[in-house]
Amino acid sequence: MIVTYNWLKEFVDFDYSPQELCDRLTMVGLEVDALDEVGGGLGSVVVAKLESVERHPDADKLTVCQVNNGTEVLQVVCGAPNHKTGDYVAFAQIGSVLPGDFKIKKSKIRGQESNGMLCSEKELGLSDESAGIMILSDNLKLGQPVFEALEISDHKIEIGLTPNRPDCLSIVGVAREVAALCDAKLKLPAPEIKESNSPISERTSVIIENSDGCPRYAARMIDGVKIGPSPEWMVRRLEAVGMRSINNVVDVTNYVMMELGHPLHAFDFRYLEDGRIVVKSAAEGDKFVTLDDQEHTLSAEDLMICDGQRPVAMAGVMGGQNSEVQDDTSTVLLEAAYFKPTSIRRTSKRHGLHTESSHRFERGADIDMIPVALDRAASLIAELGDGEILSGVIDNYPAVLEPLSIELRREKVVELLDVDLDKETIQVLLESIGLDVRSGTTSDSLLVNVPSFRPDLEREVDLIEEVARLYGYERIPVTMPTGTVDAKLPPQRQVVQRQLRHLMVETGFSEAMNYSFIAVDSMKKIGLAEDDARYLHVPIMNPLSEDQAVMRTSLVPSLLETVARNLNYRSHDLRLFELRPVFLSDGDHQNCKERLTLTAVLSGRREPEGWAQSQGTVDFFDMKGVVERLFDSMYIDDVVYDAGQTEPYFHPGKSCALKVGKDIVGYAGEVHPQVLSGFDIDQPVYLFEVDVERLVSLSGDHACFKPLSRFPDVIRDSALLLDEQVTAADVMTIIKRAKLKSVEGVTLFDLYTGKGVPDGKKSLAIRVRYRDLERTLTEAEVNKFHDKLIRSLCHQLGAEIR
Amino acid sequence: MKERIQRLQDEALSALQQSADLKDLQNVRVRILGKKGELTEIMKGMRDLSPEERPLVGSLVNTLKDEFEAAFTERQNALQQEAISARLESEKIDVTLPGRKQITGSLHPVTLVTNEIVDIFSRLGFSVEEGPEIEQDFYNFEALNIPKDHPARDMQDTFYISEDLVLRTHTSPVQIRTMLKNKPPVRVIAPGTVYRRDSDLTHSPMFHQIEGFLVDKHVTFGDLKGILTHFLNEFFGEGLGVRFRPSFFPFTEPSAEVDIACVICGGKGCRVCKSTGWLEILGCGMIDPAVFNSVDYDPAEFSGFAFGMGLERIAMLKYTVNDFRLFFENDLRFLKQF
Repeated sequence: MIVTYNWLKEFVDFDYSPQELCDRLTMVGLEVDALDEVGGGLGSVVVAKLESVERHPDADKLTVCQVNNGTEVLQVVCGAPNHKTGDYVAFAQIGSVLPGDFKIKKSKIRGQESNGMLCSEKELGLSDESAGIMILSDNLKLGQPVFEALEISDHKIEIGLTPNRPDCLSIVGVAREVAALCDAKLKLPAPEIKESNSPISERTSVIIENSDGCPRYAARMIDGVKIGPSPEWMVRRLEAVGMRSINNVVDVTNYVMMELGHPLHAFDFRYLEDGRIVVKSAAEGDKFVTLDDQEHTLSAEDLMICDGQRPVAMAGVMGGQNSEVQDDTSTVLLEAAYFKPTSIRRTSKRHGLHTESSHRFERGADIDMIPVALDRAASLIAELGDGEILSGVIDNYPAVLEPLSIELRREKVVELLDVDLDKETIQVLLESIGLDVRSGTTSDSLLVNVPSFRPDLEREVDLIEEVARLYGYERIPVTMPTGTVDAKLPPQRQVVQRQLRHLMVETGFSEAMNYSFIAVDSMKKIGLAEDDARYLHVPIMNPLSEDQAVMRTSLVPSLLETVARNLNYRSHDLRLFELRPVFLSDGDHQNCKERLTLTAVLSGRREPEGWAQSQGTVDFFDMKGVVERLFDSMYIDDVVYDAGQTEPYFHPGKSCALKVGKDIVGYAGEVHPQVLSGFDIDQPVYLFEVDVERLVSLSGDHACFKPLSRFPDVIRDSALLLDEQVTAADVMTIIKRAKLKSVEGVTLFDLYTGKGVPDGKKSLAIRVRYRDLERTLTEAEVNKFHDKLIRSLCHQLGAEIR
Repeated sequence: MKERIQRLQDEALSALQQSADLKDLQNVRVRILGKKGELTEIMKGMRDLSPEERPLVGSLVNTLKDEFEAAFTERQNALQQEAISARLESEKIDVTLPGRKQITGSLHPVTLVTNEIVDIFSRLGFSVEEGPEIEQDFYNFEALNIPKDHPARDMQDTFYISEDLVLRTHTSPVQIRTMLKNKPPVRVIAPGTVYRRDSDLTHSPMFHQIEGFLVDKHVTFGDLKGILTHFLNEFFGEGLGVRFRPSFFPFTEPSAEVDIACVICGGKGCRVCKSTGWLEILGCGMIDPAVFNSVDYDPAEFSGFAFGMGLERIAMLKYTVNDFRLFFENDLRFLKQF
């Protein structure tokens, strides 16, 4: 909502400067988004007189003008077609900055010196279009800033109104708040109506068939109206508040709507069949063309203003083309009505028509303002269009709405705000915004009759808010709650999330956050089989784009896109993770599962680039090291890395499922080169993903101490010659199965194939550390243990000792 | 004899002084004190001396020996020192070369501010709650006093999954879910991802909020001011200008917006604060009785307040990030800065 400083002053006397006014309004709940000076910064555009206008010697369409600014005569080259010697013009002097940051400099145009510019209305931001430069009246003072001279200096104040304040969708409404602020009186317009002898009731009638949707409908008629342009002052004001001038009649309806907040509509009476108005619901499927030339298919729920035969306006939203005011209109039927907010909102939404009128009606217009707005508009139309107002008003208001009375208990005010206000203070505060306040049912309460312009005030607490707002939030003391504190430890799910994030950061990963919605073909892009459950997306009904059409069932596509984007930015060494939910549909989406998932990618150099760093790139085992550490930190052991189960987006020979017991809790592997090429990634990427919900249930909450031995250890190294297919896990399983109490630890410290090892074989070196908790082991004992271990390995895996 | 000793002393001491390194020095020692050393020879020759001469010469010899030993040790120390210094000198490195870099990861700035805020409120006795991102219309709107066909729905452009399922537009549904589950007193903080159908320079269709609420007997608007002022001072620093001004949210009454003195210009006015000196930082208010009714709390017995804030905005102010979109582009050059 835009109001102007000068317009407000018509309704309330106040001394605030524009900036002060804005600050005050903001602090009373009408947040000012912008304050703009009309003609701000245009002080050096002045009234000047053209002493002579001559054709430019070298250009047919240009003129060379001698411009008198009151102190000197300057030469200016001008391209406009509409000026002559003796005209008074708007002269932008050197150094002026016109709207659009257009700086006026001294220049030469086709060899002729030019010391400024003669301006059009458009160039001064006064209108959208103009045919030539502004020709001003010759009684203005030379050298005076144009905006001052034309008395159009003003300030536009843009208020970001909250939806609960329809009363402030008008100049008068905002003026009422200003009046409360400075303890002044609101001056409401009291239009004078000069009526002709001819009564309106003989010419037309109004029938309300749907009084639920339209509780009140009033009309006046103006005869002999001459349609023409509106006067300058009205055009300027409408433009200041963001409305375009159409003609004098339409402008008046808009002007009064802006001034008083009540939307109005003017019909060309000629086109109203049977000369009457019927308010009723539309016939389902009927077609209707609105003023903006759009055809709408009506619903039976749309409330329509009809004449004797057909709809002529979409009630409270927009008029119809079939009855709009035209250049030759002479009899105007002026409508001022009240429509039910939800009905207007539904119709407006249904047809995608959001108008100044629907905006006000759906928030709640002021039903009592109807006669005032109608008279104000009728008198303005009569005045500007030289018409005659027929005598009388049709005012169809079958069930008069009684004002709501609310009991306000002082103790409730004190209790909620913690301010010891007395009854009288509360009364004064509420009366300042036009509420009718009387004594309540008890000695400590008030009875507040809510005026029709404040439909948002429905309950006691609404009034308490008004008291707080008007008293000033800044005057309410700052206290701390005294009640009980029953803080619980954070649930394990949150603890684990934090732990995982910190672990990932410790291992060098940066946290990414991608949108939860992805393109519908993303699962195909990562090569999932057609029957994969992850194709069952939760779709968004109204996505912003096809790329954001469904909720993601996997973090893999987003992270691969993140990798590709970073490679484009020339970051090649990547460690990224994302810990966010995937959304798994159950078919009808009523019980979608949101499962927290950790997905991480690594690619590029193993160590950061540097003069002393290794040059190697990461491989599967860099990633596996991170995965192992992750499980360790959650106190989960017995993790199985099962190469037999994997995902289609992995390299089949370099990937595995992460299993705890029989449950798969995640996957890890090198991303399949074909998937990578689909994302335009040209370097190997390793990826692992873990179902965090499973981790939460599996995680132990603390470490378990194992006693330390005080006796020396004995180490035995053996190199095993094994078939290539034998895995490290096979070796470890056999060592574990041997259940040797004195084995403190086993390390695989070398893997070798090549010279000296036959084809199809590999050499795996193991280091076994023996130590007993109770005593020093003897050489003989250790040899016995180790021999036994090696024998099992040889026997069960066909291993040989190298 | 005396002269011979005297001469040896001069010679020995000067040889010590002239020895260039530890090996040289050792040679001098052998020459003087070795099995066939000159002093050893003298001492061997002592038995040929007369009993009168013997103590005299003996004392001279001892003096020489002591002095030699002392000089030897001194010279040895000096040479050792020189040798160490020389070695250290030869081991000199360029300490301005960069260190061997450790791999460093980073938390997303939104996570960082979330953790910080959660920690501040945890110390005030608030527990953390979460809720689903795909939310029922009832929790996201109806129960929060935002009925269908109400203009307040225009305040949040909504992504719909179905007629009655939405991507939650705010973290406020966690209020409803928590209050339906727990009886007062409650103190809860609820961070989470939210969605609005809006995308431009300053809006992202997905962003993050943190919600907080407290319900108990006798909670006042002053308490709301107290808790939030405390929080803002903890987060942005003591002495920060804070102001509360009236606003509107369907689920609070009275409602307020909270501004802080612009952290960029200190309140003098700049582009970030649009020359007002203030930055809007959060919305809050006393929980509307209509909300209490929908969760079966008795508004006559309990009162409470709720607040919510956008975490990207907080992060932008804290870290002076100038572009909202950076939070979701996941450019490592951005992420690594935190």
